[in-house]
Amino acid sequence: MRVPIEIRGLTKRFGKVTALDRVNLTIEAGEFLVLLGPSGCGKTTLLRCIAGLERPDEGEILIGERVVFSFRRGIMVPSGKRRVGMVFQSYALWPHMAVYENVGFGLRLQKVPRKEVRERVDLVLKDLAMDGLGDRYPSELSGGQQQRVALARLLATKPPVFLMDEPLSNLDARLRLDMRSELKRLHHDSGVTTVYVTHDQTEAMTMATRVAVMKDGLIQQVGRPQEIYDQPSNVFVAEFVGMPRINMLPAKTVLQDGRPWLEMDDFRLSASWIPPRDRAIVGIRPEDVSISLDPEPNAVEFQVYAVLPSGPELFVQTRRRHTTLVVRETRQLDLQMDQRVWITVDPSAINLYDDTSGVLLTPGEEA
Amino acid sequence: MHLFDSVSGLKRTPMTVVERWLNQLRYRVTSPQFIVSVLLLVVLVYLVLVPLYGLFDRTLIWEQKDARISREIEVGQFTLFHWKNVLSGRLANAFLFEPLVNTLITGSVAAVIALLLGGVLSWFVTRTDMPGRALLKTVLTVPFIIPSFAIALAWEIFFRNPNIGGPPGFFQVILGFPPPEWLSYGPIPIIITMVIHFFPFALLLVSGALATIDTQLEESAELLGASRWTILRKITFPIVTPAFMAAFTLTFGRTIGTFALPFFLGTPVRYHTLSTMLYSSLNMGFEPIAYILGILLIAITVLAVYLSSRVVGANLRRFETVGGKGFKGQPTGLGRWRWPSFCLLSTFALITAILPLVILAYQTLMLIDGRYGLDNLTFHFWIGHSDPNIAHGEPGVLHNPIILGATWNSIRLAVISSIIGAFLGLIVAYIVVRNRGSWISTLLDQISFLPFLFPGIAFGAMYLSIFATRQGPIPALYGTFTVLVVISVIKRLPYSVRTGTSAVTQIGQELEEAAEIEGATWFQRIRRIVLPLATAGVVSGLMVMFVGIMRELPLIILLITPKTRVLMTLGFRYAEEDQIQLGNALVLLVTLITIMGELILWWLGKSRLIRLQEKQLE
Repeated sequence: MRVPIEIRGLTKRFGKVTALDRVNLTIEAGEFLVLLGPSGCGKTTLLRCIAGLERPDEGEILIGERVVFSFRRGIMVPSGKRRVGMVFQSYALWPHMAVYENVGFGLRLQKVPRKEVRERVDLVLKDLAMDGLGDRYPSELSGGQQQRVALARLLATKPPVFLMDEPLSNLDARLRLDMRSELKRLHHDSGVTTVYVTHDQTEAMTMATRVAVMKDGLIQQVGRPQEIYDQPSNVFVAEFVGMPRINMLPAKTVLQDGRPWLEMDDFRLSASWIPPRDRAIVGIRPEDVSISLDPEPNAVEFQVYAVLPSGPELFVQTRRRHTTLVVRETRQLDLQMDQRVWITVDPSAINLYDDTSGVLLTPGEEA
Repeated sequence: MHLFDSVSGLKRTPMTVVERWLNQLRYRVTSPQFIVSVLLLVVLVYLVLVPLYGLFDRTLIWEQKDARISREIEVGQFTLFHWKNVLSGRLANAFLFEPLVNTLITGSVAAVIALLLGGVLSWFVTRTDMPGRALLKTVLTVPFIIPSFAIALAWEIFFRNPNIGGPPGFFQVILGFPPPEWLSYGPIPIIITMVIHFFPFALLLVSGALATIDTQLEESAELLGASRWTILRKITFPIVTPAFMAAFTLTFGRTIGTFALPFFLGTPVRYHTLSTMLYSSLNMGFEPIAYILGILLIAITVLAVYLSSRVVGANLRRFETVGGKGFKGQPTGLGRWRWPSFCLLSTFALITAILPLVILAYQTLMLIDGRYGLDNLTFHFWIGHSDPNIAHGEPGVLHNPIILGATWNSIRLAVISSIIGAFLGLIVAYIVVRNRGSWISTLLDQISFLPFLFPGIAFGAMYLSIFATRQGPIPALYGTFTVLVVISVIKRLPYSVRTGTSAVTQIGQELEEAAEIEGATWFQRIRRIVLPLATAGVVSGLMVMFVGIMRELPLIILLITPKTRVLMTLGFRYAEEDQIQLGNALVLLVTLITIMGELILWWLGKSRLIRLQEKQLE
């Protein structure tokens, strides 16, 4: 079963702090939606509101066709009745119950007969490569195993919505990567609507069908990972997504000889278009910057500040006067500190942002 | 406010507003947690605030009895007569001011000495390399574990003075002349026995404080060449000053509330404290006076706690150990003083912890009180049958139906009260912790703390004031077993709520939320998640309550009737009537049960069960 989730005008305050500020979001049935953002942006609060663990101050939440929360109508369906499943960051496994009891807890509450519970729990544990561990206690399991028990508990009752609150953040890096694939596989096989919270942008980009980037209780942008990456709607999203960070430079727009240029510091780059305003912020992804070891026409001379080799690629931090540019280079160049290099930037890969509001500018826009 | 809302297109009509209110009300009222909270609030108000009000109330109205002291009475009407009488009447001095002064003097002097003693001993057993530290630390807690009136009785046996009455004591028999009167009865023995009873309390408090000092603070002084004595004086003790001040107030709060010590060692020479005067006034039928004294006792305690929090609070910040890692360094070496210290402390431990019990035990074997020779020894008072020539025919402990009945009552009371108390404390703690910030949580928290401020005998007086006779919907519970259970539970509520709070906090909110999401109702969550996980934390609290209730005296002495007697009150009665052997025997019995309880606690602390639970909650 797959249901959509509708969030309208949701506001939640904790004392003087507004954790969610009139948030609107439509989560399609069957999609894997990731809520991404820094700490305090409201992503966990939003998840908990969907789960019914927090009571919003305003707005509405619908799961499927059903209104589970409505401020104006005074409706607040308790979480136990919302038919959602959740994996907590700390797993929240009950330490006094064995794995079998943890996973079967929800089923027993639904008065499913013991024999059937046993069968279903065994099946779920087997699917997660945990068979034979039913009689162990959580304290006797490794971190990765505990995480899978938490997942098994989620899956056992077959809820139509999966909610996950940073479930992988307590795992070591290797395990985290493995589990990302597992979760993607799981989502594909079950097709269940999943809402996933993380602060790790790599995780968001690799797992999501769509990402909702949040900051200070507001959704900054919702879209497919590639859209978010290529066309971040504002400076915050551009800087938050992408490793290493996008290069952001203030520039003046200049039209010379009928050609658009972006003037920054003491050099200029050719642009494919310029907006009808004097200044803008220029966003350039590290992989869209090219390094040449010899002078090139229209290239700008920079000096190597630091070289950071990283397996198959190289990150080079270059400097010129007050400007720093980070470059992602896939060739195995042998660069020295302070070496002179020549930089070119693909004009079509440049994003321009309004220098006061930080909003993405697009061609065809009026002043 | 627009009638047409852009968010959901729903018109904000009066009907939707009403619908909202109705729905919100429905959720609130049917929420089990809300219902339980309100019930708890009602119960606590009834059992904590109403008695307090009752205490005040009874001092401000005329009663039928007052006809013998004044001609202007109008039964049931408001009057300040009682207050004026106590504060400025002819007998104000005897009833109020002397006991007040005596209470303050004995309480504060005893607290200071106990603190100094506890501090010094604490340093020896936690910060030095004296041999036998662990053993001594355990033995030195005994005087606090045994009922205070065991110490009083032991003192009496030793220092009894025939001038006051009764057969000669050990002192006289051994040395040939009676001890000076100021050593037998009065403020000096009261202070000394208070110190003996309370120094372990101070020792525990100070040890806790010393354990948190970062030894690096001391080590740096040592490197600069300071002598051990200087370090102690100029570094260690000043840093623990806030803890000392807190310990002083806590100890003072306990000393002013003691009853048995001043009763046995003060009243024979008409040296009264507020607690003994309260008791005497009630015996003489002067209830309003007794209640006024109770109010006064409570007021002093409140003042002490308030001052302590002001003083400690202000200094705590100044003395906070910045980046302290606590005690981790080498214990202070005592050099050639190691064994002499051990001998000194052991002797002290023997005198204060073991000797009183030995003396009491010995006296239970004396056929005729006052004759200390071996020819006078008998087991009659323990196992003898009724003999009309001995103790008015009162049978020995094992054959005495009254004593056996009282033993059964004691155990019943302690077991039932500690279980109910632990459970109540846990539920209150749960509501308080899970709803922090809400008005209900704050109210429950504050009210459940109040009994801490009521010294035992004052609290007993409070319950007497409202439960003595039926008043409106409040039944007359005086003389029932129920009222004993209730007062024991409520008196220990601050403690059981604190234990419950740490147990609930340890469980963490997510474990419950996970159950909630799976569809568990509030009751199911409590039963299957909270209770099982809280048990470990609560069990040790339960044992402490059991032990405390077993040896309780002032709290219940005013509410006991022959039917509901417990060991301690019966022992008190025997001692009052000079049935010394039986009185001692009962006190020893209670001491024995108390020590067994402590041993079980100790065993539980190390038990597999606790360790397993703790491990699982990591």
